Amino acid sequence: MKIVSLLTHLFFPHESNNQKAKILHPSSLLVISIILLVFQVLLSLSSRSGVKILGYASNIPVEEVVRLTNEKRAESGLSSLEYNPTLSAAAKAKGEDMLAKDYWAHVSPDGIEPWKFFTDVGYAYRYAGENLARDFSNASSAVEAWMASPTHKDNILSSKYKEIGIAVVEGDMNGVDTTIIVQLFGTKISQVPEIQPVAENTSVQATPAAVAQVAEVPVVTSIPSPTAEPSTYLTGLTQGEEEEVPTSVLVSPFISTKSISLVVVGFLMVVFVVDAAMVSKRRIARVSGRSFAHISFLGMILAIILILRSGQIL
Amino acid sequence: MKSLTRHLPHYLSLLGILFFGALGFIVFSYDKAFQVAVSIAVAVSYVAWGVMHHKLHRDYDISIIIEYLAVAILGLSIVFSLIFRV
Repeated sequence: MKIVSLLTHLFFPHESNNQKAKILHPSSLLVISIILLVFQVLLSLSSRSGVKILGYASNIPVEEVVRLTNEKRAESGLSSLEYNPTLSAAAKAKGEDMLAKDYWAHVSPDGIEPWKFFTDVGYAYRYAGENLARDFSNASSAVEAWMASPTHKDNILSSKYKEIGIAVVEGDMNGVDTTIIVQLFGTKISQVPEIQPVAENTSVQATPAAVAQVAEVPVVTSIPSPTAEPSTYLTGLTQGEEEEVPTSVLVSPFISTKSISLVVVGFLMVVFVVDAAMVSKRRIARVSGRSFAHISFLGMILAIILILRSGQIL
Repeated sequence: MKSLTRHLPHYLSLLGILFFGALGFIVFSYDKAFQVAVSIAVAVSYVAWGVMHHKLHRDYDISIIIEYLAVAILGLSIVFSLIFRV
């Protein structure tokens, strides 16, 4: 009986709650906000303290990223980029460096620029570019996110680039399992007949000085045709050594937050609707905000929750 | 329902604000700073709408505005927790 009274008090307009479901009172809404924020703090603390109760991992095939990138170029009337395992090795080194040093940036905390990874593997570039993505659930959403950003799109649709290298690196970044996609673009010195001025307007651009310091390295192999064995693509990632791509899918902090948010907002909307219906039916006069306005606002929040996708680009 | 039809221009303006807020998230899906700005702008507009609506309706009370504020803060908390988790 007490439970029924409590539920009525919490979720239905009643004398005990001044004819408004207690959970819809401003004090209760603020308590819910605080609980959600505390949950976020706990999520961050648990990951930073090394307790890997949550994480994110996904299986993104390298060849899929290459295929989608070339698809976007074809749509713009541009030639396909040739897959270069040397560039992929540079991309893998960059991804591993980010995980080892816990940074999410084009330039590492100790000042290492992306170009160093090109030169380290012996890729003598005339033009070079880098796109980064993390925590996307699939290759398509990562490429779409890059295409939605003008600077990343410029890299993907640049006619200056002839080759592409991709690495999908999974590991621990600041205590959270993270999947990073490193997409490197390049054109070797030998692929440009004459020295030309470096074009502008790419998010990450090679400098002539950096070009002059390195030796040219020929392309080892190109990416196999779409009919080739999938494992062949994955070997491109490690220059011949087959690497097992993690397939485990753990619960991600983003998905946890999204799920909880959906439940909270959906539940509150239902309580608001029931509350408004009961008050209208009983013709109760009360001092309160407009239920329709609150439901509409929460509806927008619900839409935003559904719109937001995991993943960041850089 | 009577209240809805009587104040249709009020509610249409509110729905317009909310619609463009959600649209901003779709169009600038890659721009975190823009999403934060849109969230704050929509939340402030929502509270401002509440103030103006109840003033015009002559049932303005501080407890009502606190209610709008509480709903706006809850919405912002949820959106921010997702934006900064992405």
